[in-house]
Amino acid sequence: MVTTAGSQMVCHECDLLIAVPALASGQKAYCPRCNYLLAANRPQALTIVFAFAVSSLLFLLLSIAFPFLGFSAGGQERTVTLLQSIAILVTEDLPSLAAIVFTTIILIPAAFLIGAVYVSSALKMNRSLPGTVTVLRWILMLMPWSMAEIFLIGILVAFVKIVSLADVSLGLSFWSYVLFTVCMTVVMLYPDKRQLWERVRSLNDD
Amino acid sequence: MTEYAASSALAQGLQGCPICTSVSPAEETHCAGCGATLHAGWDESIQKTWAWLITSAMLYFPANFLPITYTRYFGKTTESTLLGGVVTLWEHGDILIAVVIFVASVLVPLGKMIVLAWLCLSVQSGSNFALTQKTKLYRVTEFVGRWSMIDVFVVAILVALIQLGNIMSVRPGVAAVAFAGMVATTMLASLAFDPRLLWASGDKDNKK
Repeated sequence: MVTTAGSQMVCHECDLLIAVPALASGQKAYCPRCNYLLAANRPQALTIVFAFAVSSLLFLLLSIAFPFLGFSAGGQERTVTLLQSIAILVTEDLPSLAAIVFTTIILIPAAFLIGAVYVSSALKMNRSLPGTVTVLRWILMLMPWSMAEIFLIGILVAFVKIVSLADVSLGLSFWSYVLFTVCMTVVMLYPDKRQLWERVRSLNDD
Repeated sequence: MTEYAASSALAQGLQGCPICTSVSPAEETHCAGCGATLHAGWDESIQKTWAWLITSAMLYFPANFLPITYTRYFGKTTESTLLGGVVTLWEHGDILIAVVIFVASVLVPLGKMIVLAWLCLSVQSGSNFALTQKTKLYRVTEFVGRWSMIDVFVVAILVALIQLGNIMSVRPGVAAVAFAGMVATTMLASLAFDPRLLWASGDKDNKK
């Protein structure tokens, strides 16, 4: 598909009702009233979404497998994996906090990425897989509840707090988690919603 | 009605889907394109926003005044609240981090609640004041809300790492859960609020 079809749209920022023209590949449409990016034609979007979502999932797996962070003070050393660092919250009497952390930094991102792989591979293979519409709707709704990048900033702040008391170290899995977050951000920000939906619908109409 | 409001989708009886961008009639509660739930109309949007706001305001107090961490240092346990932690950071000279935490954990949630309450009130009173600015303000609250979760993760990491028994260990306090609940409910409040209602304020009676 070279151009996207023209259609009516409502600007998310300012509620202007506007007919967006057909876009040639690489073209973008901005709201004439508030300059919000309304739509873009990104011909490589599916390849990029698929590639980055798969890489992101692999990095997420790796970030569970190896030591995540290390801590040493008073001659004692301690390294934890990502899952151990969450499990400690259960043994320290706050399973609810453990559930919140696990859901927002692992479960929701993983569900989002698996959904993104599913939808993008259906579109790439040009095959109508069951539930594509539902999956795409769900992953778009999940997006604001994925908090991987906020977790990374949280780690940074925690390190500043600890650094005067003890030595802290970053494990292999930490770097993997950083790459996972970067790849996932690409998956979230690169594709154009309107274009994705247009393709999903044309797939299901066939 | 201003020219701005007249060219808006709502004034023409239409609304856009935030999930798939297709256009549906304004009274529709589910998107024709993808089935997502759309803003459910005047009264429900305002009611839901108030309900989530009141919940988050109630959680604000335990989140800020109950201990968020218990630190054990050579056998002696001290508890600290969120604000106490900010003060400690400031005293240690970590001014930048102290400011980041203060802004993300104290100012942003409070500011967000005040802004959303103000927006609800101005919709209910039919105010036409500074509509463009209010819409922008709403988009800002929608965007920054999630970042308040930083402190919850800081607590989780501190607890995970500092576990050296009597020498030095950190336990999480219940304020961390209250805090996460507060962030979630303010996010739900801003999702429930329908910014188009600001523009319809002028002719509220026709819109019911």
